Amino acid sequence: MEQKVTFREEQIAAYARASGDTNPIHLDDKFARSVGLPGVIAHGMLQMSIAAVVAGKAAGGAQKLRRVSCRFAGMVVPGDTVTFSAEETEQPGKLALKAINQHGDTILTKGVAEYSED
Amino acid sequence: MAIEGKRYDPVTVDVDPEHVAAFAWAIGADPADGVPPTYAAVYGLGATAPQLFGDEEAAIDFARLLHAEQEFVWAKHPDVGDKVTSQATVTADQSRRGLRFVTLETDSKAEDGSHLCRSRALFVIRSA
Repeated sequence: MEQKVTFREEQIAAYARASGDTNPIHLDDKFARSVGLPGVIAHGMLQMSIAAVVAGKAAGGAQKLRRVSCRFAGMVVPGDTVTFSAEETEQPGKLALKAINQHGDTILTKGVAEYSED
Repeated sequence: MAIEGKRYDPVTVDVDPEHVAAFAWAIGADPADGVPPTYAAVYGLGATAPQLFGDEEAAIDFARLLHAEQEFVWAKHPDVGDKVTSQATVTADQSRRGLRFVTLETDSKAEDGSHLCRSRALFVIRSA
């Protein structure tokens, strides 16, 4: 299962409002640059949530998910296109999650999802 | 000052249908699939992390904080309209080489006391 997402400032702002994580590094370019970032960046939790949506499709239903885990390894800025994937592993009920941007950089590492088979 | 072992007061949040729909839209989930599992970022992590960030004793420099790792483990998922109560504990607080590593674990329960979700967040704070 794979899904390509191009991040836009509007989506990042929508996630900020919906999640309550309104840290200005996600919303205010000037502030983000003042703390050494290239500009606003997407929430790690937004990336993980999209990865979990893909994992839910691979599992045959989002409500079957029992565990999702990942490390936030790279920044995502507006305009980036990220390919999220969830692939079956040798272990039943366990998926490997990956997220790679348009430059080939891995942005989520150690991505794992587990789901109940019933 | 390290605050390993510190436990915060429980926080109860409503799983509000409009809020869930907005969250589902923002992450590209189909609202017909129920409450997105990672809505635990709202009812669990999001409900309790501000207690850590606002804790004077914890002295977290929010502008220098990065969310480095996240794990959610679910026993089951809430439905819209449910009330979820979450309680957070700082399970690790270590500094090395100019970085501070703080792990916040949040347990979320349904109104009947049954377990819903455990969130484990690792935050890394760069020194000033």
